[in-house]
Amino acid sequence: MNAQKQNKLSRRDFLKKAGAGAAAIAAAQMFVASPASAGKAPLEDAWGMMIDLTKCTGCNSCALACKEINNLPRTDIVPHKLDSNAYTFVEECETCEVTGEDGLPQQYYVKHQCMHCVHPACVSACTVGALRKTPEGPVVYDADKCIACRYCQYACPFGVPTFDWRSLLGLIGKCDLCAERLKEGQKPACVEACPTGALRFGKRKELLAQARAQIDFNPERYYDHIYGEHEVGGTSVLYLSAVPFTEIGFPEYGPEPIPRYAETVMTATPFTALTVAALATGAHFAFKGRQQPQLAIESDEIGAEESDDQ
Amino acid sequence: MISKTSVFLKESSVVLVKSGGVIIGILLSLTLIGLVTSIGRLAMGLGASTALTDAYPWGIWIGFDFALIAFSGAGFTMAAVVHILHMKKFQPALRPALLAGLLGYVAVLMLLLLDLGRPDRFYHFIIFWNLHSPLFEISWCVLLYTTILLIEISPDLFGRLNWAWPVNVASRLMTPVAIIGITLSTLHQSTLGTLYLNMPHRIHPLWYTPILPLLFFVSSIMAGLSMAIIAYKISIRAQGKEERCGVADGLAKGIAWVALLYVLLKLGDIVMAGELPALLALDMASLLMGLELVVGVILPMILFFIPAARKNNLAQWFASALILFGVFMNRFTATVFAQKAPPGAAYSPHILEWLSTIGLLAGVILAWYLAVRFLEIFKIRVSIKAGH
Repeated sequence: MNAQKQNKLSRRDFLKKAGAGAAAIAAAQMFVASPASAGKAPLEDAWGMMIDLTKCTGCNSCALACKEINNLPRTDIVPHKLDSNAYTFVEECETCEVTGEDGLPQQYYVKHQCMHCVHPACVSACTVGALRKTPEGPVVYDADKCIACRYCQYACPFGVPTFDWRSLLGLIGKCDLCAERLKEGQKPACVEACPTGALRFGKRKELLAQARAQIDFNPERYYDHIYGEHEVGGTSVLYLSAVPFTEIGFPEYGPEPIPRYAETVMTATPFTALTVAALATGAHFAFKGRQQPQLAIESDEIGAEESDDQ
Repeated sequence: MISKTSVFLKESSVVLVKSGGVIIGILLSLTLIGLVTSIGRLAMGLGASTALTDAYPWGIWIGFDFALIAFSGAGFTMAAVVHILHMKKFQPALRPALLAGLLGYVAVLMLLLLDLGRPDRFYHFIIFWNLHSPLFEISWCVLLYTTILLIEISPDLFGRLNWAWPVNVASRLMTPVAIIGITLSTLHQSTLGTLYLNMPHRIHPLWYTPILPLLFFVSSIMAGLSMAIIAYKISIRAQGKEERCGVADGLAKGIAWVALLYVLLKLGDIVMAGELPALLALDMASLLMGLELVVGVILPMILFFIPAARKNNLAQWFASALILFGVFMNRFTATVFAQKAPPGAAYSPHILEWLSTIGLLAGVILAWYLAVRFLEIFKIRVSIKAGH
């Protein structure tokens, strides 16, 4: 009876092992075809936005146009932070010392919105794949999939996604670079609303070339750095500034995408699973003959005793 | 069949009233408060019922979730000890541990439901996939592993109902089921650490390391075995029995070695990353890590390495509780205390967050206690009938 039982068990384990192997291969194939990998392309030919902070006058036309196009409430009120009612806002830098062309001190403004990372951490983190980097450039959000776990808020290195804390069933909100307008051949609403040319829309490659030329041509006007060219693996939104980016509170990031470690670990999942299952199976057989000092009453045996009773 | 059931009910009600009536009353009251506040939270929405903000989108619910998942490692660690390593002397500690694991995961599922901004869409992860997302993997593993725990506990449930053949079927499946359970647990216990790898900008450098998945996995073994000791000791007392020699202290010895591995991994990683000055900086992050390592790992490890101490009843309670405290602090620090937030932002949990959490915990502790009694009563009765 015992030998027969062992025999059955080992055959079942073998089948289980084979099944696990097939499942792991299938999972590995799904990883290769995973939509999150789309962000790995440099996206030089995708759309992007250049924000020339030296040209911003803080008029807030962009922020109000954004509210209007996204059907957000209170299009008459200028926003002062990113929240579920504002996907972009213009902040005055009070500590920045900038002199204008006339030699007088000038107020300095910083527009904030989604950076549309080339390899976005929010997309990688999203539990249900509600966030997606499109080949055209924008990082878009599918409100119908979102479960509002808010992991994207932690993953975003720029603190962009916001949650609607006021609603009973809140959702995430963020700039999508007016992806719908882009499909129709239009520019993002903020770019179209900007009266000073501080916002420029175009192919990322061309925006970078232009910005480089601007810095070279006018080194007094610009701090020699294009924010977003390399930060966190590059972003589709790029910045030019008169002052160093640390002065306007922009975080300093290297060229490594934020999700690099997590994605490496996650990609190894099928192999981790297979290794653990194989080790556990091996250990089961290796220790099966272990000498037992004293057998406790086993729950398994209770059932057997019970069935003998009846 | 009917007489058996009525005898069982009579026996169990007498035992229940005799022992721990007050404790059961308190747990029941807390559970009701938890139920009411949970419904309140769902009716009010996240913003009105929590202190969470865009600066602190996660709070104590997530902290408790991640600590509870580690504690519930009792299930997979004990399944490994008994079914894979075939150390049968630990069999008496298996059932309380599996039950604690199952109810721990039930609490986690309920807390996660409260935490979702769209609890009405809790099932979306089954339909919409993102294989790169740690939370996606955790969701699937928790779902599947809770099912595994149900299967592992099912021989007791079926046995309690006197159903012979499901007991036999379930019992024979134990080894493959245990292997699947161990695999799923390894995945999601470590993936809880992977989750934080996506937020290097938010976590204090001392608390951020690429080996977080490994640290989370190792500490879940430590926490799971400690939980198993405590669950075993309580269940034995609840049944008015004597502890078997070698069970708690045997597990304690295992914990000591796992704790040593954890300390070496953690300190080795900090030294190699050149973050030793940060560990000795005596700021909030370094003090919290000191507390975790010294009080929550090294002290209980030393106790469990000393044979006289690990055979001592009081030391077993104390050191196991310290390990759980350490792992609790670890998960909480990663989720709340070591998080960098914009200046001025603060998080102080809303009363509803506390009450719903405490209520849910009371509920699962009560359920665990009752289950231990009910299932164990059956076992004693059958054993007596079978001539033991």
